[in-house]
Amino acid sequence: MAIRGIDFANLSLMDALDLAILIEEEAEERYEEFAAQMDQHRTPVAAGFFRYMAGNESKHGLELSARRAQLFSDEPRTVSRAMIYDIEAPDYDAARAFMSPRKAMEAAMASEVKAHAFFVAALPALKNAEVRALFEELRDEEIEHQELVQAELAKLPPDSGLSDEDFVDEPAPQ
Amino acid sequence: MSATCELQPKDYKSDLKPIWCPGCGDFSVVQGIYRALAAIGRPAHEIAFVSGIGCSSRIPGYTTAYGFNSVHGRSLPIAQGIKMANPDLLVLAAGGDGDGFSIGGGHIAHLIRRNMDITYLVMDNQIYGLTKGQLSPTSQKGRVTCTSKYGSLEEPVNPLLYVLAYGAGFVAQASPTDLVGMAAVIEEAIRYPGFAFVNIQSPCVTYGEEAQQIKGLKAIQESLASLGHDSTDRLAAMDLAQHYGRKMHLGVFYRNPEPPPTYGDLVRERQDLLSKDALPRERILDLFIKK
Repeated sequence: MAIRGIDFANLSLMDALDLAILIEEEAEERYEEFAAQMDQHRTPVAAGFFRYMAGNESKHGLELSARRAQLFSDEPRTVSRAMIYDIEAPDYDAARAFMSPRKAMEAAMASEVKAHAFFVAALPALKNAEVRALFEELRDEEIEHQELVQAELAKLPPDSGLSDEDFVDEPAPQ
Repeated sequence: MSATCELQPKDYKSDLKPIWCPGCGDFSVVQGIYRALAAIGRPAHEIAFVSGIGCSSRIPGYTTAYGFNSVHGRSLPIAQGIKMANPDLLVLAAGGDGDGFSIGGGHIAHLIRRNMDITYLVMDNQIYGLTKGQLSPTSQKGRVTCTSKYGSLEEPVNPLLYVLAYGAGFVAQASPTDLVGMAAVIEEAIRYPGFAFVNIQSPCVTYGEEAQQIKGLKAIQESLASLGHDSTDRLAAMDLAQHYGRKMHLGVFYRNPEPPPTYGDLVRERQDLLSKDALPRERILDLFIKK
């Protein structure tokens, strides 16, 4: 997780909304990428779960976009994707070939925890009351997302204790 | 697409899906390249991206730039040919540590002494990953692989010292552990007017050692800026570059404060000088006819 050039103290509500949208977009794209990686490596269940997460991120992004449009119409964006990295998107190294559904969900859970930590860490620096309220709302939503992933985890059969590597052949030299 | 419209990282992303192993560091590297290219703002059709052979050499295909996945170790001669044929192109070359420092190792010195305006990105994972885990030129001494069952007896090549010693004008190191910094370093390398080298420590998730994975790299990473390093001081850069393999310094090691003319500049100068005496095309063979 990294940020670049965000002045939290002077963040306007429009910029805060735009950042939140960008965070959702980044997460959606990453989950789509992970799903494609799982497809590539013939791991359809994990791919399906990552697509489900991408759908959730997309939904949240669209909700935020609608709110932004209502408040600020088509006023040009002054923040960019270059300012954020891996806020809610799972880290690239969280993916593994032949991920079990449990591992995929745990990767998503770690991302939601990370996103929550981002909003918590940003709060003390915020001076604008509306931005603070938005960040508090987003922070709380991350808890809801964690509960969502937790609910998916609960649907799984008990953990066998085996690792993914137990099901994969050792890499063979040629 | 025109050079004046604001380009986004996604504009450089091709429809081809990467087939790297999930968790591979190269996924972050390609994101860093998209971001750097968007910041530079050159449209994709003005960019030529050449690579050799290896996992990382697949990278041009994942961008919308003109790409050439060439021959093992030969990305640099081809990149130089492209640059000479069309100097207006932004030319990038990429490959792995084996491609760059073993099979193609002889080419770097000549590109550096010519100082052609090419940015070379090496994804250094200290292993031949595509061929399933043999020792590479940057593998650490003692490394156990399928080709070194009892541990490597060889000292690794130090890519940073190697290019600094040959006189490269821009030398930097980046890693997927810091994508924001990596994108900034790649952007700076592209903007440097001359040969620029970026060593990217990009972990191999399948054959790499635990210490070389993201968590391990984070533990030994240190930004050069935080050390107060003066990137115009070549000797200080060489001093820090000696830590390669023990510490991972991120950022710009060396940037020549007075970049010398590039090979392209010198060629144009020579062409201008000689053009007044140049024979018209229909008499070009006169040069070879004895009078």
